[in-house]
Amino acid sequence: MTAHRRRDPATVVGLLERAARDVPERGIAVLCSRGRGAERLTWPQVAERARRAAAAWAARGVAPGEPVAVVLPTSWDFLDAWLGAMVLGALPVASAPSAGLVPAEAPLRKLAGVVEHLGIRHIAAGGALRDAAAAHQDPALAALAARVTTPEALAASAVGAVGAEGPASPDDLAFLQLTSGSTGCPRAVEIRHRGAVHNAVAIDEAITAADAASPGGAHPLDGIVSWLPLHHDMGLVGCLLVAAAAGLDLWLLRPSTFLARPRLWLEHLGRHGEVFAHAPNFGYQLCVERLTPDERARLDLSPWRWAMTGAEMVREATARAFVEAFAPHGFRAEALRPCYGLAEATLAVTVDRAGRGLRLASPPCCGSGGAEDETSAVACLGPPVRDTRLRITAPDGRDLEAGAVGEVRVTGPGVFAGYRDDEAATAEALDGDELRTGDLGFVDARGELHLTGRIKELLILRGQNVMPHELEWVAERVMGGGGACRAGAFAIDAGAEGEQAVLALESRCVEPETAAALAADVRRCVQRELGIVPADVIVVRRGLLPRTTSGKLQRRALRDLYLRRALRPLSS
Amino acid sequence: MLSSGTEPVPEPAPTERLARQLIADTCGRPPADLQPEHELLGDLAIDSPKALRLLMDLEDQFGIEVADEDAASLRTVADVVAFVQEQAS
Repeated sequence: MTAHRRRDPATVVGLLERAARDVPERGIAVLCSRGRGAERLTWPQVAERARRAAAAWAARGVAPGEPVAVVLPTSWDFLDAWLGAMVLGALPVASAPSAGLVPAEAPLRKLAGVVEHLGIRHIAAGGALRDAAAAHQDPALAALAARVTTPEALAASAVGAVGAEGPASPDDLAFLQLTSGSTGCPRAVEIRHRGAVHNAVAIDEAITAADAASPGGAHPLDGIVSWLPLHHDMGLVGCLLVAAAAGLDLWLLRPSTFLARPRLWLEHLGRHGEVFAHAPNFGYQLCVERLTPDERARLDLSPWRWAMTGAEMVREATARAFVEAFAPHGFRAEALRPCYGLAEATLAVTVDRAGRGLRLASPPCCGSGGAEDETSAVACLGPPVRDTRLRITAPDGRDLEAGAVGEVRVTGPGVFAGYRDDEAATAEALDGDELRTGDLGFVDARGELHLTGRIKELLILRGQNVMPHELEWVAERVMGGGGACRAGAFAIDAGAEGEQAVLALESRCVEPETAAALAADVRRCVQRELGIVPADVIVVRRGLLPRTTSGKLQRRALRDLYLRRALRPLSS
Repeated sequence: MLSSGTEPVPEPAPTERLARQLIADTCGRPPADLQPEHELLGDLAIDSPKALRLLMDLEDQFGIEVADEDAASLRTVADVVAFVQEQAS
């Protein structure tokens, strides 16, 4: 391994300073929103800007330990605001900005919830968000405007730079990561410096374990090319922090740029030396579907050393199609490496070993761990990253025999400190120092993890976690709400598309036309407010959504009924 | 075929036709289905990645650059057509 990894810095700030010292010629390039040009700065410049931004935040009255929201697209503005807050010892918390042509209202409303829940006084965001908030009829949203610090205002507040010493202790919190919560407001995952440094270094080690070090102990690879959002753990930790920890070049595309033109990601993967990249399954699928033969022919993917796939179920059909499409253009099948992680573990829990490509396995024995034991073969996600342990448990928490399917539990330095200001949720997720992931899987004889499903009622749509009630509340409001109407949301496997949302609505109406109009109304509002396009919206008779005896909606049973076509919709 | 002396058949402005075609391609519907008041997201299910793709297609096809603040104001089919007509003229 490389020389500078022998002793890791105590804090994330230390990772930045080390990169600035050890690899002063490397740095971060941020591509513009159309992917045409890039603005590149070296690690010493990145560190210096972060220190200046820290001083600017201090001048604006931000105190160490205080959460600061960062609601900006992938840009230097984002990096200045986020890194600056962290260097100051404040807690940056990145939230999805609205993107594209049609800003959905959901990001603003979600932000208002986060701001209230965490007591946030400062929001780094663009003038457009501030103006949209200020003009809003809802006073709760309008009040956000006064808390906004635009990038221009932050730059104008710069008064020198904060010193390089950074936060005092590795046990201090470094930042917060938002994740979907069951109460409608996102939960803020507390990540300590110690956990963030450990996970970033462990990810780099696991990915490059098989790569020979360059002469002089330099890192075996040159860089990371990423389109992943920086408000998502795989973008923030897996790309930004790993690049700092490993001292690599980082090439950042905006997620929307990739989704509009996936070829740009692949072009950059072939241009910047030996690189690796992470993406959820749907990213690989999008490349297969959207690149024309002409566009493929212009690619050279031979420098793409490792193609990590995680954040949603890894699909064999996608992997096969990707290899078929891109092997003629330099992509190696064994470059594909599944991995598993979640925000509550900082990011990585397992990373597949190098050089084997995608491998599938079925559970060796029947489990008793959960309702959704799926017997079809699933991808091997590799062994745990260093210092991290897995336990597969029955619903009562006892150990299951090797090979049985049960809940995946994780212990290790990356496990989070808790959800900020949410003791109940923290107690649910943390059993002592053990993280209950809510995911189902088994560990094979080699100690390698396979996921089979999940216990938690979560939809993973294009790598983003969405709680079912986010969709249900919009539907219930359209239907008149008041508790009289009910909606149930769940995810179905739409093959290559990954998971897609389905909404089932209970209604008193019986005419197919009225039902169809209701479904169309709900679909329009869900799309407009959440930016989510459901695969199906159906209306069923009152009383058909399955409930427990205490009246709680059973989404898993609802999904089963839907898949067995047993719901008999009035209209779909 | 046009012969001299006959009036050419009036056609819809090519800019509008192409803009509507690009929107139709983005949402997977025939151009004839598009109403000017259709909302891109609410009615045509053009989510933000599809919207950016549409934007980049418009930029490429018409040789224009759309600033982010202009893009955010394009909510309906009519907005897009009007914007492109103004920019491309």
